[in-house]
Amino acid sequence: MPAGPRLTGRAARGAAGVNTGQIISGAGHLALIGWALIGGVFQSAPPPFEVVQATAISEEEFAAIMDRQSAPDAVADVDTPEPPAPGEAAPSLSSEADTPPEAAQPDASATPPPDPAPDVSQITPPAPAEVEDAPPVMEVPQEDVAVMVPEVSPRPQPRPAPRVAPEAVARPEPDVRVDDVASPEVTPDEGAESAEEPSEATAPEEAATEIVTEAEEPAQAAPTASVRPRTRPARPAATAEAPPEEAPQPETPATDQSAVNDALAAALGQAQQTSQTPSGPPLTGGEKDALRVSVQRCWNVGSLSSEALRTTVVVGVQMAETGKPEIGSIRMLSASGGGDAAAKQAFEAARRAIIRCGNDGFDLPVEKYDHWRDIEMTFNPEKMRIK
Amino acid sequence: MMRYMMSLLAALMLWALPAIAQNSGPLRIEITEGVIEPMPYAVPDFVGESAAATEMGRNLARVIASDLSGTGLFREIPAQAHISRITSFESPVQYADWRAVKAQALITGAVSLDGSGRLVVKFRIYDVFAGQELGNGLQFVGTQDGWRRIAHKVADQVYTRITGEGGYFDSRVVYVAESGPKDQRAKRLAIMDYDGANLQYLTDSSSLVLAPRFSPTGDRVLYTSYETGFPRIYVLDVASVGRRVLPTMDGTMSFAPRFAPDGRTVVYSISQGGNTDLYRMDIGTGASTRLTNAPSIETAPSYSPDGRQIVFESDRSGTPQLYIMPAEGGEARRISFGQGRYGTPVWSPRGDLIAFTKQSKGRFHIGVMRVDGSEERLLTASFLDEGPTWAPNGRVIMFTRETQGAQGQARLYSVDISGRNLRQVPTNGGASDPAWSPLQN
Repeated sequence: MPAGPRLTGRAARGAAGVNTGQIISGAGHLALIGWALIGGVFQSAPPPFEVVQATAISEEEFAAIMDRQSAPDAVADVDTPEPPAPGEAAPSLSSEADTPPEAAQPDASATPPPDPAPDVSQITPPAPAEVEDAPPVMEVPQEDVAVMVPEVSPRPQPRPAPRVAPEAVARPEPDVRVDDVASPEVTPDEGAESAEEPSEATAPEEAATEIVTEAEEPAQAAPTASVRPRTRPARPAATAEAPPEEAPQPETPATDQSAVNDALAAALGQAQQTSQTPSGPPLTGGEKDALRVSVQRCWNVGSLSSEALRTTVVVGVQMAETGKPEIGSIRMLSASGGGDAAAKQAFEAARRAIIRCGNDGFDLPVEKYDHWRDIEMTFNPEKMRIK
Repeated sequence: MMRYMMSLLAALMLWALPAIAQNSGPLRIEITEGVIEPMPYAVPDFVGESAAATEMGRNLARVIASDLSGTGLFREIPAQAHISRITSFESPVQYADWRAVKAQALITGAVSLDGSGRLVVKFRIYDVFAGQELGNGLQFVGTQDGWRRIAHKVADQVYTRITGEGGYFDSRVVYVAESGPKDQRAKRLAIMDYDGANLQYLTDSSSLVLAPRFSPTGDRVLYTSYETGFPRIYVLDVASVGRRVLPTMDGTMSFAPRFAPDGRTVVYSISQGGNTDLYRMDIGTGASTRLTNAPSIETAPSYSPDGRQIVFESDRSGTPQLYIMPAEGGEARRISFGQGRYGTPVWSPRGDLIAFTKQSKGRFHIGVMRVDGSEERLLTASFLDEGPTWAPNGRVIMFTRETQGAQGQARLYSVDISGRNLRQVPTNGGASDPAWSPLQN
């Protein structure tokens, strides 16, 4: 193996072709220099020059031009306007006062007798106007008095549509065969031991008792509040209710009652566990803020005493899944800053706020019901005190 | 390895436990901002058991509504908006009907006459949205002539149960009734219900009278009269209108009297030789004690509700300012430090605030401040506001407002200590220098 550095392929190719490249480069540079010298690249630009156009004119024209340029001669004889001839002598001003015109004196004999003095005994002086500088009392709008006007405009009545369409409509493919006897569909089950003949599901024919078109439906105003979707089944009632009267038990085949009870208990236990353990993401800050704003809209502290305005109360409330507070569950958990009477007033104001603004249900995400089933609201009137 | 994994799992569970516990607790929110607006209420005519009682029931309901709405804290739902009609005092309340008209409180009542012709008024208060009664029903019995007082007492009860503080409707006001032009104004003492009804004059217009002040029980009135040419202090019995002059030193001017909370002591000013100081007098014995001894003018004293301190006005610092000293006299401390002149301080019945008149930049104000001089708030501003007096519950202040010009007249006004609900008090003509009585028994 020979000693020395090993050349890579590209370096080896460069070393082989160096002479050819130098020759080509040298020839190119020579050609460029020659063109620059011979082609006038380095010659300086010609000096600027002015072009003057000359026009030949006649002698008369020259004389006329020279005449216009000479100063005008002063005119000596100009008619001076003659001064106006003196007019008539000015009228002499008299300083005598004008004699007043003679006023026709009324005939005293014709003067009518004076009117008799009016009887003022029956006239009572007007009551002195009372000027008040009190600021005008702002009329409270009556918007929250009983609303007598509809909240939405009545919808226009659509024209009645014909009861029967002019053209026959193709019948939809029946998914259930009409039969007098209703029977479920039987499909072969691979795991079943006893083979049962497959058959179609049948059902008795259904029909409406009358044809009701859209035009004939009673006009209804648009709903003022959206119906909250119910995604969860209603949980078992928390309060103990009186057991319903025992219904007559139908004769049923003997079953293992304990197994059923166990299954029910397991199902209920699972449901309880599901309902008590919050699942899913908690309320976002925006959702909490929305609830807070909704309550404080109705928290009226205007009629609270000064001491009640120094009292902070913590109120607990249980919420229904509809977003409405359970009124009976509203309770005062704690109070600080005032006496018992003040705490009572503060709590009542807080309770009114929860009930009033929760009357239509707070805007809370129903899918997070587990997170807001129980709410503790702290009503802190520090910012609402009289400053 | 297995033990290591188990330990890691346990650590993770311990770490996550607080978060789980937090999620499983109730949702907690804090409400720090509310609204300040009058509470809507409904007071249907009280049910009468006879034609006369029905008319009385209507009048009672109107006075109650006037009292409540006049506070600015309540707003009546007019009868035209009512859905339910109260035809029986014992019938259950249809809360839904009252909720529908946005009434938050409902007052129902019944009126009857007993065998001796006395008026019997029963009433109940309901929290409409809570669907329950506020406290128990009450009953008042009185003469038919005193029906307005019964209405005021019902209104006081409603006010107290809803706001949590005492009412002030069953009270009276003594003031200086003024008549005639400004340069020849006749003045006499007058007394009326707080709402201007049942006006009576206590003195005639033969001599100038000033600064009437009620006793703590409301049965006597102190005032200053120029009957002898010099200002002297008189004490007047309201029931009999009998009066007597308090013994003071000859050759002195005595004025600005005010009762101590014990009702037996009077603090007042004596001006002698160009100097004015405060004195205290036992009404029973006539013995006087000097409380201040300064070359400046000390006047307008007012006791604290516990009778231990006196707030007064003094110009010892160069301009009239407010000072507080012990009731027995002694070192006084200044409590007003704002720009302007302070005067006529009056201690609140609650003891927490002092009302005053302030003159600043050519305007007069009625204001309040804490006892230590902090949290000064000006409630009014006009050409001339002066002479505040407290309502029995310490929530409202009445004062004199005089308009500008030769035709200017003095009138009585009231304002809530929040600065809201400024109202003119109805009087028969000009009126100044009011003094609010305590609640009547």
